[in-house]
Amino acid sequence: MTELDPVIHAQARLRVVASLSALPDCDQVTFPRLQEVLGMTAGNLSVHLRRLEEAGYVAVTKTHRGRTPVTLIALTRRGRLAFEEYTEAIRALLAPADSKETP
Amino acid sequence: MIADEDLPPENAAAALRLIDEQRATAARQFEPDPRTYYWPWGLAWLLGFGLHFLYYSPGDTPLVEMPSWLPLTVLFVLLTVAGIVTAVAGARAYGQVTGESARRGTWYGWAWGLGFLTLFVLAGRLSDSLPPDLVGLLWSALAVGLTGILHMAGGAIWLDHRLFLLGVWITMVNLIGTIAGPGWHALVVAVAGGGGMLLAGTLGWLRRRSRR
Repeated sequence: MTELDPVIHAQARLRVVASLSALPDCDQVTFPRLQEVLGMTAGNLSVHLRRLEEAGYVAVTKTHRGRTPVTLIALTRRGRLAFEEYTEAIRALLAPADSKETP
Repeated sequence: MIADEDLPPENAAAALRLIDEQRATAARQFEPDPRTYYWPWGLAWLLGFGLHFLYYSPGDTPLVEMPSWLPLTVLFVLLTVAGIVTAVAGARAYGQVTGESARRGTWYGWAWGLGFLTLFVLAGRLSDSLPPDLVGLLWSALAVGLTGILHMAGGAIWLDHRLFLLGVWITMVNLIGTIAGPGWHALVVAVAGGGGMLLAGTLGWLRRRSRR
């Protein structure tokens, strides 16, 4: 059995990464919007984002829109790759072991 | 709470289900409902151009008697409402997302704005020197033509073949109506153009629901 990425293999962080993967490449979403999509508390989401940021899967940018500070979040290239590999590994676990042998 | 959420999904099937559901939910939130994009415009064309056909009918007399200001007023009011609905829905979906797609959207919006400004200035200059029925055809054929071309351009920008095909459809409908002449143009645009937009919104909505 393949080792599943422990950073992503946790329900909450898997949901965060899956949501961010639905954004087009090179797009970022604001923190409150992501929070709304996930239905998580701000504190909760921050904890998971920090963990994902430490792994290099998520980029958190703090900037300003006019005078209001804005936090923007996006999946990094590495994060997208990790998510794709995780999804593939899950699919492989579900597929019957011999199905790959038949052309 | 956090400790619970840190648990891995129960099994591979649960993990895959979670991924699919979450991606679908997020996609629905990041993209506006296609109905809010197409239905108001489709309805505006159907009713607005429909009234134009009934009043400025081919031949000499209107098919249906009505105050002369009614067709144009209804068309403009409905187009304005459609613009507001689309703007609100777009701001709701895209307002909290920045990056390349926001830039594409903004520039695309400028293309619409400048395109229609060009149209207003040009058609305004020509209107005085044309007979009334041709003035109507000039305005509507230019506006519908520009809309079709911009839909095709949108399809090219976002590689969205449905949007591109809708643009081709609107362009063809407009060409056929223009060749058929004043009066007929309004009928063709109302039924095939407005109907096409209503259909595009419905198909997009069904596709989005089935993705859940």
